[in-house]
Amino acid sequence: MNFFQIKSEIPNVAPDIVFNFYGWPVSNSFLLSFLVTILFVFLVFYTKHALKKSYGSFLAVVEMFYEVLSTFLKKLGGSSAQAKLIFPISASIFAFVAVSNLISIIPGLSSFSYNGISIFRTPTADFNTTFGIALGMILIINAIALKDFGFVEYFSKFFQFKQVFLGFKSGIKDGLFAIINFGIGLLDIISELAKIISLSLRLFGNIYAGEVLIVVLFGALAFVAPTLWMSMSLLFGLVQAVVFSSLITVYYAQARKPDEG
Amino acid sequence: MEQTAFLTVEAARMIAKGVIALSMVGTAIGEGMVVAKALESIGRNPAETDSIFSKMIIGVAMCESTAIYALVMFFII
Repeated sequence: MNFFQIKSEIPNVAPDIVFNFYGWPVSNSFLLSFLVTILFVFLVFYTKHALKKSYGSFLAVVEMFYEVLSTFLKKLGGSSAQAKLIFPISASIFAFVAVSNLISIIPGLSSFSYNGISIFRTPTADFNTTFGIALGMILIINAIALKDFGFVEYFSKFFQFKQVFLGFKSGIKDGLFAIINFGIGLLDIISELAKIISLSLRLFGNIYAGEVLIVVLFGALAFVAPTLWMSMSLLFGLVQAVVFSSLITVYYAQARKPDEG
Repeated sequence: MEQTAFLTVEAARMIAKGVIALSMVGTAIGEGMVVAKALESIGRNPAETDSIFSKMIIGVAMCESTAIYALVMFFII
């Protein structure tokens, strides 16, 4: 039975440090995410070059992706002027997360090793990457809301002192409801933190658990079973990228002041 | 304290893993409800199939997220 099983060790939650760069530790998932970023920069310059020379099929593919992303994300993003602001950020996050999730299907990427640790690991299977992206996005959304509403009005969404005062002025029952709303406003601060944690944990959990299951399945039966799970993992990678970017767009649309007119 | 306790650390860890795995029942029920309602509304209005399907996929991914938290906890414990 050992012929049909390939045993290897389950990847750790924390990534392995490959080398130190002037005192900063560089992990293997960071190396691969850096490569993905360089790939996208190269694609951007190539598209600019192709636009000048007007190549046919490459531009058609790029326009197809842009069209699909644009119609999907701009529908979720609120009024069309507001959706235009978040669209570059959401679409780039979608592209980066989708390519990062799918890049583990390339065979042989995990065989490059240095000092016994493999120097490539799926970027989103590392909690640091997903937490960084989620934290950055929620901070950007809150900064945009701060600029939209102004300093006092933005904080009065969380600390609803004025509503309590107005509620008690118009009656005792309204005042008691206003106190309940004050508690809800305080819970909104916690819900911002919960947004960060849920966004990052959802993406990290899907991809990391997929990798662990592939290792476990290879240990059980290496001939047919991992294929099924690897194809599902491709689908889940795409779905998680869609969910991540569309959730960011929805949080942005909820945080903006609604447009008048 | 000596290790003459009734429950060793390893046994407690195994029991915790089992309890974590039990929590995924709720996810299954919830996702079933989401897909059932989506299928019903596709049946009532087949022209909107694409729009309903894409929203159903997002809804399923959201429901899946609590099960994913449980899975991550399972691997960490």
